[in-house]
Amino acid sequence: MVTFDHAFRTTALPAEAEDFRGEVKAFLAKNFLSRPPHMCARSWAGFDADFSRALGAQGWLGLTLPTRYGGGGKDGFFRFVLVEELLGVGAPVAAHWIGDRQSAPLLLHYGTNEQRDYFLPRICSGELFFCIGMSEPNSGSDLASVRTRATHDGNDWRLNGSKIWTTYAHKAHYMIALVRTSGTTEDRQKGLSQFLIDLQAPGVTIRPIVDLCGDAHFSEVFFEDVRLPGSALVGTEGDGWKQVNAELAFERSGPERVYSSIVLLDLWTQYLSSSAAAGAAHRILLGQFLARLAALREMSIAITGRLTEGESPAIEAALIKDLGTTLEQEIPVEIATLLADPDQLVDEEMMRTLAYVMQVSPAYSLRGGTREILRSMIARGLGLR
Amino acid sequence: MNDQDNIFLDSFIRLLDDVSGLAAVRAVHHGGDTTAIWDKILHSGFVDALVPEAHGGGGLSRAEVAPLLSAAGRSLLPLAFGHTAVARLLIADAGETLPIGGPILLWPLNDGGTLRSQVAPAFFEAGHALVQRGRSFQLLPLKRGDAVDGFGFLAATLDSDAVALLDYSADGYCLLNWAAALAALASAGATARTIEMSLQHVTERRQFGRPLGNFQAIQHLASQAAEQSVLAGTAARMAFSGSGVAIDELRVAMAKSLTASAAADVSRIAHALHGAIGISEEHDLQLYTRQLKRWQLSFGAQAFWAERIGAARLAEPEGSSVDFIRERLAPLRV
Repeated sequence: MVTFDHAFRTTALPAEAEDFRGEVKAFLAKNFLSRPPHMCARSWAGFDADFSRALGAQGWLGLTLPTRYGGGGKDGFFRFVLVEELLGVGAPVAAHWIGDRQSAPLLLHYGTNEQRDYFLPRICSGELFFCIGMSEPNSGSDLASVRTRATHDGNDWRLNGSKIWTTYAHKAHYMIALVRTSGTTEDRQKGLSQFLIDLQAPGVTIRPIVDLCGDAHFSEVFFEDVRLPGSALVGTEGDGWKQVNAELAFERSGPERVYSSIVLLDLWTQYLSSSAAAGAAHRILLGQFLARLAALREMSIAITGRLTEGESPAIEAALIKDLGTTLEQEIPVEIATLLADPDQLVDEEMMRTLAYVMQVSPAYSLRGGTREILRSMIARGLGLR
Repeated sequence: MNDQDNIFLDSFIRLLDDVSGLAAVRAVHHGGDTTAIWDKILHSGFVDALVPEAHGGGGLSRAEVAPLLSAAGRSLLPLAFGHTAVARLLIADAGETLPIGGPILLWPLNDGGTLRSQVAPAFFEAGHALVQRGRSFQLLPLKRGDAVDGFGFLAATLDSDAVALLDYSADGYCLLNWAAALAALASAGATARTIEMSLQHVTERRQFGRPLGNFQAIQHLASQAAEQSVLAGTAARMAFSGSGVAIDELRVAMAKSLTASAAADVSRIAHALHGAIGISEEHDLQLYTRQLKRWQLSFGAQAFWAERIGAARLAEPEGSSVDFIRERLAPLRV
């Protein structure tokens, strides 16, 4: 079993989930007024609250949540199809992305009845957007070293510290943060807890950070004596590390770890199909990209199946993410290698999209756990640590 | 079909353990006789696994047979098991009666009458080949090649003076696709085994006072090898889907190009992890990496097959990449 021979079981998308694809395509044809490709290339970093609410009105946010909370009552395969179609056209999904993918399942699993009753329907309607507070100025890959601290204050908690690189904190309503509730950084994974933080609360300051392309999709968030009600604790005090790790397989195995450069790939394909310049080198490269995409998609479906059965295959998810982000990053590099022929006429939108993906793609193997950390996790799975 | 539910796989692996230990593999590589091994394979009935029950075969699905073919690659079975299984399917489907019981190699020819592979299949005492030239199929005797090839294998050659044992016409399938699919599955199995050997080595071998596997540089190489192996195995299984006598060209193209890439990467990493001992003839690693490289070059390597996918995509550029991979590369349903 050491080489994961049996970890990626052949898993077909159920027929009902495939049927659902038609509905999604029809919805997108009607509601997704296409933006220029270099904007669509933002992929799941593209933020459009109205679009997310339109998905919510369709019943497609919280697709896997029980219907009693306003969810779709469907399985993970339906969500795979939905996400695949959304990412495939470069729809702006960032507003609801974190809540839909992570916060809602977390609250469903670990939340109190009150938390579920309040938050889940609002996530499903697109009324509330979420972000996840993990990294801190001095805690990146070494997440167990977080210093942000919540201390008991009567029945409440008092929160001090800061988070950084938090995706769309400046446009989210709530953060679910991993913070220290007891002990010190020496205690590592012990003494960490998760909290729901109202980002409008007094003492919260949010500063967007502009990225190298001029976009502001992440932020720094400061907490200064922020008062959290006792009901803000998610799950069990001190179990934060365990709870966070249960999310990782969801976070790392989806189509978003494979399709981040798909808009660029499609645009390049269109360019090649209408260009006299397309030769064997182009066809070979295109074929290699598509082959890898197809096999990775199959692996992602296999992990979706295991997640649907309640398993938490975190190491297999890390394996998909490393392979997937490697492909996502090679797409702009290799396209650039072939495209920059001084005697070919390449249209401006093609070059603008390529420029965007070339610049932003290093982030693909940083966000959601760096490549180097993932490779060490996989090595543990191989019995080397 | 999950491998752990595949009752045929367990008994096939027991058979492989019996006939295809590495000592037996070495003996055959040095020109030893394969008759005793073949007799056990033939009597097991697995060579007719793909033949429909209506034709007296096992009637197994491709999803059931694929893990067997990878297991044969994993054990370096020095016989044309997969080729024979496919040849028996095709000959039975053509309504022909097979006049022989020995191993059969698949032998696709181009219009000029040349084998469509830069390296010929290893001889391994295979007596016959199913030869395709356009619509024409012939069962022809093989003979032992004159000398070992660049990988140290005795390649097979067609006995061009011989009379065909079967001679018929058939449409709708291509032996090159089948042979490439078989190379992909065998390669995927051997790739996984190569990594397991490497993991064992870095766990046992100590340098600077600790096991090699404790070093992060070693760990990350092993992780990348495991990733490539999973990708290759997934692609090979995807290609061996559907049913009937044809195997889909584009899916085979995906499998052959990805397994060839993985074979190259994993061989490189396995040798890096083993150090100098892995270069020696005495160590078993070379049995795997030499075979992996030979499979990489057999029946088309990465560029040949990848270009077919790229050309197919550019021939229908209207839809999205996602639609293309869903419709043209995802596993076929039976």
